[in-house]
Amino acid sequence: MRKVYDFLEQDTRAAAVTRILVSTGFVLILWQLLAMFVTNRLLLVPPAEVASALWKEFQQGSMAENAWATVTAVVTSFLVSIAIGIGIGLALASSRFLSLTGGPVLSALNSVPIIALAPLFIAWLGLGFASKFVLVLLVAVFPVVVTTEAGLRATDKPLIEAARSFNATPLQIFSTVTFPYALPFIVSGIRVAWARALVGIVVAEFFGSFAGFGFAIMSASQTFDTARVLGYVIVLGAMGLIGSVLFAALERYLAPWRLE
Amino acid sequence: MTALLKIDNVSQTFVRNDKSSVEALRSIDLSINEGEFVSIVGASGSGKSTLLRIIDGLLAPSSGSVFVDGTKVDRPGPDRAMVFQQDSLLPWKTVIENVGYGLTLAGRPKAEVQAIAQRFIDMTGLRGFESHYPHQLSGGMRQRVNVARALAVDPKILLLDEPFAALDAQTREIMQTELLSIWQKSRKTVLLITHQIDEAVFLSDRVIVFSARPGCVKTEVAIDLPRPRDLDLKRHPAFIEQVDHIWKLIEAEVRAGVKQGA
Ligand SMILES: Nc1ncnc2c1ncn2[C@@H]1O[C@H](COP(=O)(O)OP(=O)(O)OP(=O)(O)O)[C@@H](O)[C@H]1O
Ligand SMILES: [Mg+2]
Repeated sequence: MRKVYDFLEQDTRAAAVTRILVSTGFVLILWQLLAMFVTNRLLLVPPAEVASALWKEFQQGSMAENAWATVTAVVTSFLVSIAIGIGIGLALASSRFLSLTGGPVLSALNSVPIIALAPLFIAWLGLGFASKFVLVLLVAVFPVVVTTEAGLRATDKPLIEAARSFNATPLQIFSTVTFPYALPFIVSGIRVAWARALVGIVVAEFFGSFAGFGFAIMSASQTFDTARVLGYVIVLGAMGLIGSVLFAALERYLAPWRLE
Repeated sequence: MTALLKIDNVSQTFVRNDKSSVEALRSIDLSINEGEFVSIVGASGSGKSTLLRIIDGLLAPSSGSVFVDGTKVDRPGPDRAMVFQQDSLLPWKTVIENVGYGLTLAGRPKAEVQAIAQRFIDMTGLRGFESHYPHQLSGGMRQRVNVARALAVDPKILLLDEPFAALDAQTREIMQTELLSIWQKSRKTVLLITHQIDEAVFLSDRVIVFSARPGCVKTEVAIDLPRPRDLDLKRHPAFIEQVDHIWKLIEAEVRAGVKQGA
């Protein structure tokens, strides 16, 4: 048992994959057991049926169609959120005035459940790409803004002072000290933004679109097709997990000194 | 000999956010000759780091001025380099990149930076660790990188703020002899801050004793022990006497500081 723990705690790819496989297997077993007791197939469908429903979606091509709609929308607006988020974070960190006056507005906006405004955005921007884009942008941008500003402000004072001592210009201080220092913080903000972007896209697609995972989940649940609902939820979960693993790896790569 | 570094009536008062103020330095007058090795000792909070930051040009004094070679200091410059009390290596840069940092900032060509950095890496005994990151080094090695980084920009004046404070006693003694030999080779002017009186006596031509808050020069003691010096000197009666003498001078200040909770 001891050896198993030692192996799982390792920081290697094999150990990470094993951890994911073990927890996935555990969930599948629980799910299967539960499905043996809950026999109402409107409420719960066993894993094998979900898998076959997913397979059917692949064969019919609707998986590709939905994936295309969701992925293009979520990725473009995720990338734009990162760019805008870093931009706003930089502005807030470099100007005391902006952060004092703009900060409260941003935190007020951040505490509004923007997701709840989805129907309004659809009324304004119509069905399709634009409304999805804006909704995802609004939910994903905040974590990036907050971590960028915090990261830039958190930079160790002695590092900045050493750079100044070597005659660094303000731009050199930014490029050689504060920005590299903030980068891992920013990536952790991006990791949160990705998870939020996925929620944003699904909700936007619930209310207004003719394609995409959210649309597929909505239409499947209207026909009580629980297997398809769960199938698409699993696909979304996989997208979230992959993003989270990738960004966590990037964080470790950018800041190896934080591990020790 | 001419004074390379002249500190003329420098005072510093910090005003905190709550409007209370701290008088850190009062009317400091000092001159340091070219090639001289001078140490400052004094209780914690007596403004030693503050004085060094003023000399380096990181902080403008409340009043008074600092002159290097007759020119008034108003910002950091290539004629001075500082080794900081706190760890200030860039954690995302390798040893060689950290040592070359000052040269890179000055816009020197890459190959030249590499070559110079390598020379100081060799001088400070860091060969073989060029591509290590600071977190992979011991405290003593990190301090060597700090010293090498300051030497690499070839300053006239080396400002050292308790560079060996975080080291164990043995490593510290080895670093002291290495610093002495680097100083002997390069003939830089060195101003060192330390809490270790024996370190100050062992290394210096002169020891400046600071009195506690507000910091001011209490006395200065010339150390006329013969050079070159090695660690055996530390057991010599003349050495022990000097250390004892300086310790008595600051004992009262340190006790007062401890009572104040400094
Ligand atoms: N930026 C600052 N703002 C306000 N007060 C400061 C600032 N820097 C230093 N001080 C105050 O000035 C006094 C002297 O500080 P300084 O760091 O120069 O002491 P020191 O002699 O280097 O002490 P130590 O031996 O502990 O390093 C202290 O009381 C400190 O609180
Ligand atoms: Mg100090």
